[in-house]
Amino acid sequence: MEFMSKKSPGKVENLIPSEVLAQRARIEILRMTSKSKASHVGSSLSVVDILSVLYSEVTNISPSTVTAFDRDIVILSKGHAAAAIYSVLALKDFFSLEWLNNYCADGAQLGGHVTSKNVPGVELSTGSLGHGLPYGMGIAISRKRSKSDGEVYVVMSDGECDEGTTWESALIANHYKLNNLTVIIDRNKIQSLDFTESTIALEPFTQKWEAFGWDVLEVDGHCHKSLLESLQKPSVKPKCIVANTTKGKGVDFMENSVLWHYKSPNENELDKAIAQVKKKTP
Amino acid sequence: MRDTFIKTLLAQAKTNPEIVFITGDLGFGVIEDFQKTVPDQFINAGVSEQAMMGMAAGIASTGKRVFVYSIGNFPTLRCLEQIRNDVCLMNNPVVIVSVGAGYSYGSQGYTHHALEDIAVMRALPNMNIYIPADSIESKKITEYLCESNSPSYLRLGRSGEPDITRHLNTSMPNKIIDIIEGEDGTILFVGPIGIRVLAAEKIIRKHGKKVSIASVPFVSDLDLEYLAAAANKGPIVTVEEHSNRGGFGSLILETLNSLGTTCKVKVVASKQLNLSEIGSQSFLQNQNGLDEDSIANAYMACLES
Repeated sequence: MEFMSKKSPGKVENLIPSEVLAQRARIEILRMTSKSKASHVGSSLSVVDILSVLYSEVTNISPSTVTAFDRDIVILSKGHAAAAIYSVLALKDFFSLEWLNNYCADGAQLGGHVTSKNVPGVELSTGSLGHGLPYGMGIAISRKRSKSDGEVYVVMSDGECDEGTTWESALIANHYKLNNLTVIIDRNKIQSLDFTESTIALEPFTQKWEAFGWDVLEVDGHCHKSLLESLQKPSVKPKCIVANTTKGKGVDFMENSVLWHYKSPNENELDKAIAQVKKKTP
Repeated sequence: MRDTFIKTLLAQAKTNPEIVFITGDLGFGVIEDFQKTVPDQFINAGVSEQAMMGMAAGIASTGKRVFVYSIGNFPTLRCLEQIRNDVCLMNNPVVIVSVGAGYSYGSQGYTHHALEDIAVMRALPNMNIYIPADSIESKKITEYLCESNSPSYLRLGRSGEPDITRHLNTSMPNKIIDIIEGEDGTILFVGPIGIRVLAAEKIIRKHGKKVSIASVPFVSDLDLEYLAAAANKGPIVTVEEHSNRGGFGSLILETLNSLGTTCKVKVVASKQLNLSEIGSQSFLQNQNGLDEDSIANAYMACLES
């Protein structure tokens, strides 16, 4: 598939297509969570296509631009999907793939929730939900006022929309007309203990964001073409992309299950899962 | 104090476009001049302290020096995790400004009393605490904060506090200088409660004792040389308009302990006996053991024990 990238990288770096990136990242996610016995494999598999499109096709962030003043900003506010962003960044050469092998180990560079300290490409340490959007909004308003380039993308979970800061920010970003701010919601419809609609109902979800004054697009969060088109659509308002996803996407026995918010695959499950992911042609 | 703060900040902001002021929809009659003069450096975040603090951290991450302004517990306790994660963990240069320290908003009730903030802010890594005693120290510290580059907490009174440090040539940043010098011990205080400490000193003088009185505005960067000398001189009494759990007095006790001193120490702080009590600032100070007699008695008790 050919994509029209918004910006071409300054120099030829790792130009791995997003769908290949996502497939390889899925395998890394499975290995990392299995070896470390860490949670959140389902959350990582649901969001990995969004991150792959952002890092491969949309943003101007690369290992050589991680501190550039006008770089695009990606904040993974659902910090529990750390395995997903770490896999994507390692596969894009932001840091060594070796780091993934020590995920969550004693003294490792990478832990179970996203940390920015000494991890190239990560903008904000997250883990407590509801922090990414206000922070990203701060960067967006500062850039808008100083007429600086660079878009801000905040990737959130749907469960995270229970947080008050989400709606405080929805009000503020609209008021200050932050059209350099895009929220992408990984709408996998499952949160910690149950489905979102059985926990604290979010629906009618897109209408809520529309009512707050945002430009809202609803897409298939595993379709890279749809994600890319929605991300590239110009907007005069802050943009909210509701990306409909499946928790545990790509591994049939993990899909749409609360269990795999917590469970990590054992060796047998890992082999089965990787075989399933590899079978799919990107 | 708040007027001095905002005037000082505006003077700095006019020549420093990196300064950004965010209010949580408070400051009527105080902030308008700032808003009119440098509108691009002013943001009203509305009544949403948590988003405001996260946003402040994000703005600070772009190289701005951000001052977040609100009253009482709203910019501290209400958004504590945003301060902990987005400001302190990320080490973003946000200055949190809380107006209405202690019982400043006396008759407005306990929701508006800031009595646990020092203890809470002290617990945060990378956080620096500043508590001026009057408008003179407020001005100096505000100017200092415009230049510094760390997470900071500025605890202000309200307005009309007398200038008790006027005769001091305070050398910044962290020197403790006696307002009154004496040889029979020391009373250290933070904030505008200093006026009652000076009244206590008069009572103590009637008992034939001369104590040193000093304001400690740089709470996180203590003048250890001064403290060691004070510990050698005699008893130390600390005074703060704050709860008696974990605040300035606790800090001095911990610091003296780490210095290995053995002087007698008494902490004068609010006993918080009746959280629902209504009254003026001075009335609530009296009710909670922060009056000049209580301060003088604490010192005399040190001498007798």
